Amino acid sequence: MRPLLAEGALTREWAWAGATGSGVDVAVVDSGIDAGHPMVGGVSSAVAMTYDPEEGDGVRRVEGPHEDLFGHGTACAGIIRRVAPECRLHSIRVLGERLTGKGAVFAAGLEWAIERRYRVVNLSLSTGKDDYFGLFHELADRAYFAGVMLVCAVNNVAAAPSYPSQYASVFSVAAHDRQDPFGFDYNPEPPVELGAPGIDVTVAWKGEGTIVTTGNSFAAPHVAGLIARLLSKHPQLTPFQVKTVLHALADNARA
Amino acid sequence: MSEPAGDVLRDLARLLTSMGPALAPEGSEALLQSITEAARELFGAQACSLALLTDDQSELVFTTASGAGASDVLDLRMPVGQGIAGWVVMSEQPISVSDLQRDARFASDVAQSTGYVPRTILAVPVTSPRRTLGVIEVLDRDITRAGAEHDMRLLSLFADQAALAIENARAFADLGRTVLGAVANAAPGTPLAAALSAAAEGAGGADRDLLRLSALLGELDRLGPAERRLTSSLVEALLSYVRGRGRRPS
Repeated sequence: MRPLLAEGALTREWAWAGATGSGVDVAVVDSGIDAGHPMVGGVSSAVAMTYDPEEGDGVRRVEGPHEDLFGHGTACAGIIRRVAPECRLHSIRVLGERLTGKGAVFAAGLEWAIERRYRVVNLSLSTGKDDYFGLFHELADRAYFAGVMLVCAVNNVAAAPSYPSQYASVFSVAAHDRQDPFGFDYNPEPPVELGAPGIDVTVAWKGEGTIVTTGNSFAAPHVAGLIARLLSKHPQLTPFQVKTVLHALADNARA
Repeated sequence: MSEPAGDVLRDLARLLTSMGPALAPEGSEALLQSITEAARELFGAQACSLALLTDDQSELVFTTASGAGASDVLDLRMPVGQGIAGWVVMSEQPISVSDLQRDARFASDVAQSTGYVPRTILAVPVTSPRRTLGVIEVLDRDITRAGAEHDMRLLSLFADQAALAIENARAFADLGRTVLGAVANAAPGTPLAAALSAAAEGAGGADRDLLRLSALLGELDRLGPAERRLTSSLVEALLSYVRGRGRRPS
């Protein structure tokens, strides 16, 4: 059996010094990625999913290049690229022209990433519908046991819980007000586990431009990028071990 | 009017009377208006507006607005598949964007949804545990005032209030349909039942299982107190069993 973690104390040097995310597959389940955006630098694969009652499971899947309908997926991809410049980005577009069937399409997108064993999946979206509690819980467990890290933006401003960020097996992330893209905090009070930059950050957007924006949905891709970096140097790590490393190396744990 | 139909009408009157407190649609609209006005005042903002999803979930319609551009934005429709408001509704994630005017393409996108071009926008989803309802937006709030860093959380509290008001209003509408259908079921074969059924069908949207349950409650009402007590115990036992099975979708 491989040694679980570092021989000595966990350090950032050990974790990701010199790492680039090379060889690590990172999926962005969102509104699509504008692959031509200068901050994105291309994607390795793209699939667009839409609700279609004619299909057996109600979801139509179209592989091949697509555009970002909103700009948000491109923003997430740009952040991940900045933190892990050589990772392989995969765009899984699940947000489309109408809301009908969103839960089913969202779940199908997540399943697509898990089946392909993409090591990191950025989920800057959620559902608060109780109907989907069980389905997403099952998918989150499958991901965890398959070594797939689900990085979820927490909708911690709403009164009701949202899924899948609520589950213990995922990396749930909220925004903190610092700008260092490699800085992150560990939050000892669940369900939010991690804090990362997400306030007044400049991100890529639709049409090759940028916007200055705030939201937990921009904090999650910072953590997704960091995990990709870590995995490019230490590909054997499981979600449990990655959480251990992030806990040990958090800004507030080291201070 | 025939005797059975007269009974049905009496039942209907009794049911509607007992549902009186729910009959307040104007109150809901006034409440939503006051929510957008309170939010605008609290945030020192130029405008605050609420957009709700259409029944086919393909568009957002601005139903309530206060402040700058309010009259222009009311009843404005926009596809849910674009723009900041669309993304917020789709992803169920709040977002705030500053410096909107820097990018002309972006500004036109926002202007289309707001009636004027703001510098900043804060938008949070309006949702209930059962469904996504829409989005509430605040334009050009005063970010220099004390506590402005909590604006996203504050606006979400307003969104929760709006969601309650909207769901209450919709429950009233659904209840009306349920009542019509239930009364029709309670007096099968009468001309009035046919008319009520047609009305209930035309209204659409109500859950068929609920219609049936409602009809059963009508029958129960005509039985004695002992039967009603027995049924209550049975339903309570069933509910506690169903709750114990967890929350997986059926």
